Amino acid sequence: MPHDAQSQSREVVDRQNILVRATSHHMFWPIVALVVLLVLCQVMSPGFLAVTFTDGHFFGQLVDILRTAATPALLGLGMALVIATGGVDLSVGAVMAISLSLSLTFLRGSSSPDSVGTVAVAVLLGLVVALVIGAFNGFLVVGLKIQPFIATMILMVAGRGIAMLVTKAQITTVTSPPFKWLGSGFVLGIPTPVIIALVVFVALTVLTRWTAFGMLLESVGINAEASRLAGVPSRTLVWSTYIICGLLAGLAGIVYGAPTMAADANNIGLMKEMDAIMCVVLGGTRMSGGKFYLSGTLVGAVILTTIERAVIVFHLPSQTAPLFKAIVVIAVVVAQSSRFRDWAQERRLRRQAGSDSIPAEKVIV
Amino acid sequence: MSRVDTEPLAASSAARPRRLPRIDRRFLPVLGASVVLVLMLLIGQLRYSTPHRGFISLRLFSNLVADNSYLLVLAVGMTFVILTGGIDLSVGAVVALVGLVIAVLLTAGVPLPVVLLIALLVGAVCGTLIGIMVHYFDVQPFIASLAVMFLARGLCNIISVQSLSITDPGFGRLASWGIKLGTGSDVFRINASLIIAVIVIVAGFLILHYTRVGRTVYALGSGDDGLAAGLMGLPVGFTRVGVYVLSGVCAGIAGIMFALYTKSGFNLTGIGMELDAIAPVAIGGTLLIGGSGFVLGSVVGVFVYGLLQVIIAREGLDSWWTKVLIGVFLLIFVLLQRVVSARRSKG
Repeated sequence: MPHDAQSQSREVVDRQNILVRATSHHMFWPIVALVVLLVLCQVMSPGFLAVTFTDGHFFGQLVDILRTAATPALLGLGMALVIATGGVDLSVGAVMAISLSLSLTFLRGSSSPDSVGTVAVAVLLGLVVALVIGAFNGFLVVGLKIQPFIATMILMVAGRGIAMLVTKAQITTVTSPPFKWLGSGFVLGIPTPVIIALVVFVALTVLTRWTAFGMLLESVGINAEASRLAGVPSRTLVWSTYIICGLLAGLAGIVYGAPTMAADANNIGLMKEMDAIMCVVLGGTRMSGGKFYLSGTLVGAVILTTIERAVIVFHLPSQTAPLFKAIVVIAVVVAQSSRFRDWAQERRLRRQAGSDSIPAEKVIV
Repeated sequence: MSRVDTEPLAASSAARPRRLPRIDRRFLPVLGASVVLVLMLLIGQLRYSTPHRGFISLRLFSNLVADNSYLLVLAVGMTFVILTGGIDLSVGAVVALVGLVIAVLLTAGVPLPVVLLIALLVGAVCGTLIGIMVHYFDVQPFIASLAVMFLARGLCNIISVQSLSITDPGFGRLASWGIKLGTGSDVFRINASLIIAVIVIVAGFLILHYTRVGRTVYALGSGDDGLAAGLMGLPVGFTRVGVYVLSGVCAGIAGIMFALYTKSGFNLTGIGMELDAIAPVAIGGTLLIGGSGFVLGSVVGVFVYGLLQVIIAREGLDSWWTKVLIGVFLLIFVLLQRVVSARRSKG
């Protein structure tokens, strides 16, 4: 139903000028929000946007923002696929904690935490467990047909307990330069997390846009029953999105915890599932499933991270960040809503009709 | 004693017919939850009773109600929202916000009745905000309530990042007021929170099952986004915004109850409380896609959830096992519900 209305209103809009076409693009409002935020920061603290190149590395607030945004971006990319099928994965925060705890506990127990090989095994261990958890979520949703919200809530609660079980509720710390590199190192001057997030983004884009995978996901999200009747293997598809989402959550956990190399099972990834969902929604994807936008999700991740940074730039307590995140999310989702678009268009038409004395009907035609 | 307490719930939900196969399918999930509740009580009685003190006692129920009274209120509001096919993630943050508002206003010398009214108003405003976004701007309930959750939490952090104690004597009297019935393990305490919770449950039950608004709530959750209800001339917009306002007000009431319970306001109160409110509703047999469920089911759900925590506490397990076990029980429960009731296909 909403898709019909959307495409109809889009047809009308297409005949308008480029400005209108731009404002109805799913990325328009998120990018406006991001630019406004960045400009505000630059005004408040001159030099905010400056990026310097020293010692073969890029430095600057922007680089820092991108580095921090890698975690929500990784979570958001997986989440976008799940949301496209009409589901949701609330367990990603807990999966982050489990993967990081396992990797660090393994490193701590190993005889040579400095060697690249050991680190690779540790990371692989974390990722495999994350993948298994994703598969379990998929099994609950697809195999047992439990509603995604409840199914993933089970691991959201239990997962944190499992992570604490792994670390024995202690804060596990290790020193391992190769592991630390995953979070705070550089590749060609660019922070490693940014590279990891970009590689994942490109891989997922290739997977979803160069093959039919993305289109089939969207078809399942728009109408699961019709897709099934049309021969779309919806069970396998939906299952695979939970596996990808779990895997990326594990990766996010490792990338997130690598700079400090400390696993605090109680707090790592707390509320990160909500951040991830916000990234996806800011990027123009709707929670009801269907069309999804991976690039939009990346922009969403950068917006949320910029807000966190902006609060500090504006000399506000960092705990007030949720308030501004909420304001930006409300502004963007309201601006993206069809009612707001209709209202804006009507106003524009009326203004044009008033100034040019052209009858409104002519403009519509 | 337990029988007396649980039977009316089971009986009212199991409907009149005596023969088992004739029970209305809609009541099966609630019946399932009630059976599990009785089973848990029996297991508790067998495992934790000592020669001179049984597990099942009036005091157990008294504590169960006292510890979960705010959850009962939240669950009633949440049931309405979920029945329309929505969700309200903001309740935990609203509880914290209300607690802080009460603490700040009472310290500033505002009279108690005005403070309590403002507390309810805060909840109502938060709910209205969600309702407007959901109904008029077609924002998904998950996102709308998530945004309000962040909004409320951010406001909490602006008000204070420390616990504010409430020293108002009037509030203290309200918090400590209570009637004791019986003695020893047969004690049952009636306090302000219990009375509020009972009133909210009864009001919720009556609204949902005996008013036009209640029928419209079910109609909204029937899977067509309220299209049929709208064509029938039912007040769709009023009801859709209304359920979120109701849930917000319930969160406001729960905030007052929580403040009475802790005699303070704290910005970190209620993190994850929204899940504590949603889990009992799901346990009580309300489907998250909407259209099917009962207020009394959610009440049974809260007792199951509360009893589960009592049992885990009695086992004396580490805190991480508690979390794992709650997850496992949640899973078993959801699976049981699926076995007991053939679910409507999602379509």
